Amino acid sequence: MKHIKKALFLALIGAGFMAPVQAAEVHAIICGGEIRAADQVVFDAFEAKYPGVTVNAEAVPWGTCQDKSMTLAAAGDPVGLAYIGSRTLKQLGRSGLIIPVDISDEMQALYQPGVLATVSDGGQFWGYPHAFSTKALFINCGLVEAAGEACVAPRTWTGLYNMAKAVNDNTSAAGIGLAAKDFDNTMHQFLNYLYSNGGTVSDAATGEVTFNSPETVETLEFIGKLAGVAQEGPSGYERSQLTQLYNDGQIGMYINGPWGGGQHNANIAEIVVPVPAGPSGESGTLLITDSMAVFKGSADEGLAMELAQMMTSGAAQYDLDSSWGLTPILQYEKMMDDVYYSTDYWQTFVDPIGRGGPEPMFEDFKALQMGINSAIQGIILGEGSAADLVAEAAETLAEGL
Amino acid sequence: MNQFIQMFKPKTKAQTTTLFAWALIAPAAIYMFLIVVWPLVETFRLSFTNSNIGTLMEGHDYIGWANYEKALGGRKFPAIVNRTFYWMFLSVGLKMILGLIGASLLASNIRARGIIRALVMPPWIIPIAIGCFGWLWLYNGHFGLLSNFAEMIGITDGPFSFLAYKKSAFYSAVVTDVWIGTPMVTLFFLAAMQGVPRDLYEAAYVDGASRWYRFRRITMPQIMPTVITMALLSAIWTFNSFEIIWILTEGGPRGATTTLIIDTYKTAIFSYKFGAGATRAVLVVLLLGVFSIIYLTVLGRVSKKFGYAGVAK
Amino acid sequence: MMDKYSLPRKIAIYFCIALFLTFMLLPFVEMFIASLRPLTHLFHRPELEVGETMDFMDFISRFWSDKMSFQAYSDMWVTVPQLGRYIFNSVFLATAVTIMSMIFVIPAAYAYARFSFRGKSVSLTLFLAVNMFSGAVLLIPLYKLLRAYGMLNTYWAMIIPGVAFLIPMGIWLLKSFLEKIPYELEEASFVDGASRLYTLRRVILPLAVPGLVVVGVAIFIGAYAQQFLFAITFNQERDYMPLPQGIFEFIGYQRVLWNEMMAASLVGILPVLLIFLFLQKHLIAGLTQGAVKE
Repeated sequence: MKHIKKALFLALIGAGFMAPVQAAEVHAIICGGEIRAADQVVFDAFEAKYPGVTVNAEAVPWGTCQDKSMTLAAAGDPVGLAYIGSRTLKQLGRSGLIIPVDISDEMQALYQPGVLATVSDGGQFWGYPHAFSTKALFINCGLVEAAGEACVAPRTWTGLYNMAKAVNDNTSAAGIGLAAKDFDNTMHQFLNYLYSNGGTVSDAATGEVTFNSPETVETLEFIGKLAGVAQEGPSGYERSQLTQLYNDGQIGMYINGPWGGGQHNANIAEIVVPVPAGPSGESGTLLITDSMAVFKGSADEGLAMELAQMMTSGAAQYDLDSSWGLTPILQYEKMMDDVYYSTDYWQTFVDPIGRGGPEPMFEDFKALQMGINSAIQGIILGEGSAADLVAEAAETLAEGL
Repeated sequence: MNQFIQMFKPKTKAQTTTLFAWALIAPAAIYMFLIVVWPLVETFRLSFTNSNIGTLMEGHDYIGWANYEKALGGRKFPAIVNRTFYWMFLSVGLKMILGLIGASLLASNIRARGIIRALVMPPWIIPIAIGCFGWLWLYNGHFGLLSNFAEMIGITDGPFSFLAYKKSAFYSAVVTDVWIGTPMVTLFFLAAMQGVPRDLYEAAYVDGASRWYRFRRITMPQIMPTVITMALLSAIWTFNSFEIIWILTEGGPRGATTTLIIDTYKTAIFSYKFGAGATRAVLVVLLLGVFSIIYLTVLGRVSKKFGYAGVAK
Repeated sequence: MMDKYSLPRKIAIYFCIALFLTFMLLPFVEMFIASLRPLTHLFHRPELEVGETMDFMDFISRFWSDKMSFQAYSDMWVTVPQLGRYIFNSVFLATAVTIMSMIFVIPAAYAYARFSFRGKSVSLTLFLAVNMFSGAVLLIPLYKLLRAYGMLNTYWAMIIPGVAFLIPMGIWLLKSFLEKIPYELEEASFVDGASRLYTLRRVILPLAVPGLVVVGVAIFIGAYAQQFLFAITFNQERDYMPLPQGIFEFIGYQRVLWNEMMAASLVGILPVLLIFLFLQKHLIAGLTQGAVKE
């Protein structure tokens, strides 16, 4: 034990020595293998504004990106700012690892409706929303017409099921792609259906879990029904694998985000339609964001916050949204004339924003994911009634709130 | 002063020996103490706290036995323990059997023995993670070899995702685990078999004993110490087998492949609940310790009864 | 005569061996084939009519396409620029762990093999007891420990835990070997007036070479095969990542480059496989000589 205390002491002294040098550097972690030119412009402008300050921007591959920021912060070596999924903000905030951020009123007005809800907790904002997505239903017209159906948007769940069943019965492909692997996008897929059925997960105001409701049970039952016309073994698939199946003409349709268009084979004739409405609700969608979070205890929090602000607004943000194929996070049409999302394709993703629900903010976001996914897998593997599964999931969720 | 030093100077030869021996062992012992024993103690300590990601470095509270109550009383806990032991017995059993078969095959007098022996080794040598990626691809439902093969020969009439269903995911993980563990067992059994004195076999052959008889009455008893040791080692490693299950299923559809170690990792690292995770870690060590003691005790009794040549120490 | 087999028996033996080998090598074969196919072909099922199932020709078509090439083998260096470094890291780490372990193991094994002293069986049992838990159990405290020593995100982060979990096995294996070396040789050396250390160095060590080779190889393989867990928990620095961790870079934002991943895996393990091929004769000889009897 003595050795450790001694080493720790020395390390702290060493860190103290290093402090003056570090104060002039802002350490940022960006996800993805490389730094985009638009970001580099921001960094250069930042360094010009604050002479003596350098931006240490680190591009970390997607697989290890989020872990790295969290590990460093937990170890007491926080970076200045990092790209992180908004679902982690509540836990990071409550654990005192990140600081609340300031968003000016003008900026607040510019965000698409519902976006700020994904970064809010306890009346404060905990990150600058940086990447946004909504979802819609992609349908392979070739398969649908081969099955003898018209390739038009199904407006209700019944219509959806019938179309999928037709494809399933009359072609060698499966009707619909259903993800049920224990991944975050399985939960997201479910929430798309839930929000199109008037269901909710939790009440932001009262902090109560409202998951256990008739609408949720209805949604889960529908998922179970869909499994009958979906690809084999849904529990083994998550969304990116569904894209592979879709490209090979193995499934007739599936839910994906706006980047889907770019990922699909050119020879697939497809239409993109809003998520069909369930019996108890209107067509809605899931609003997910990733944010730039500012970590507590980094060398200069104020500088980090300002850099984050610069990266998530104006031209830099527009460039990210358009180049990554994301739903626009700001209402750019208020700022400029010619926006990238004016086509019909994009309108399918932009329209539902107002009717969409946010990814729920849970402190134990892993519990949220595991709880919901367990229920989904349960209904698909036939391990209980929807009502029981939903009740069980609600319990897990309540513990994680 | 001299008298003080005299107290510590070894007086007898036995004491010199002891001192020298400990001097040789000391580096290893100190290293292990620092790197293993201290973390073990710390894990034990953490199991009584509510440490999580915000309090990793400091600031967690002691909550007594609460973690243990929650873990042991959890709905799923008995199932996880049962599953872990089932996993262990099944996988180790298969490894032992396949190891014996493999070793016997390799010990037989065939050509190209050396090459075949070398070809059996790769699953052991490569990083476990990479082997698992290979199996992940094999188990793929729509595009994987195994599923396509099953379709072609007519067992299934469509794609089959091995890792998507509870039972098949479990047994698929067992298969991969056996695949990784068999080469080493085979190798050690082979070496043991080759160490059996040939005259024993020749005497039996001359007396007209059949192959099976020779195997049963000469080979098996002679290599029994190796089998016993390997079985225990393999049991411990299989009990703790983490990477394989994690990469294939991360605990499986609805917990079907969640063994104790997976549960520990999920709680501690995945969900950032260090205190609760430490509790499970302690339970793993306890269970394994109890199992080993039982194993060795039973073994001691059995070998006394059947007179097998010495139990491994 | 005992060793001559009848023809049916011979056929049976070869058949069983073929089955055994198929099981052992199937993943590698499939990985190789997957690495040769373009991504679109990897994720393509043969065209089937409704209600039809795959037949033999369809099955073969998944192995062979006219677009097969070694393209993935050159693309992978571009996708993951540090791939060569990862391969090097893996071998380097395993080597470092082996050398460091041997330094601790050799004296200790000698002591256990030769002397009886107070606390011998207790300490030996304690060493072996360490085998009882895997690193996964101790990750959090190990993390704190490594951080306190400032060794996170360095090579040490993966070497130090690796050594700790291999020392007990090393001691146990080497001890068995050393016990087989006749004591008379040492006695003769003492009679000639040599000190204990000298004896260890000049008399015992040369005789123990086969045993050392076996233990060294076993430790190397152990270290090489198990780097993954420590690497992903204690190291986020790309320069130091071993191969299994680096492979994750093939998993992108939206899709996984399976063919390149498989190619990289195969190329990455090639060095160690080749080294092992050369050494395996010695390994068997050493093992047979008698580590295993114990």
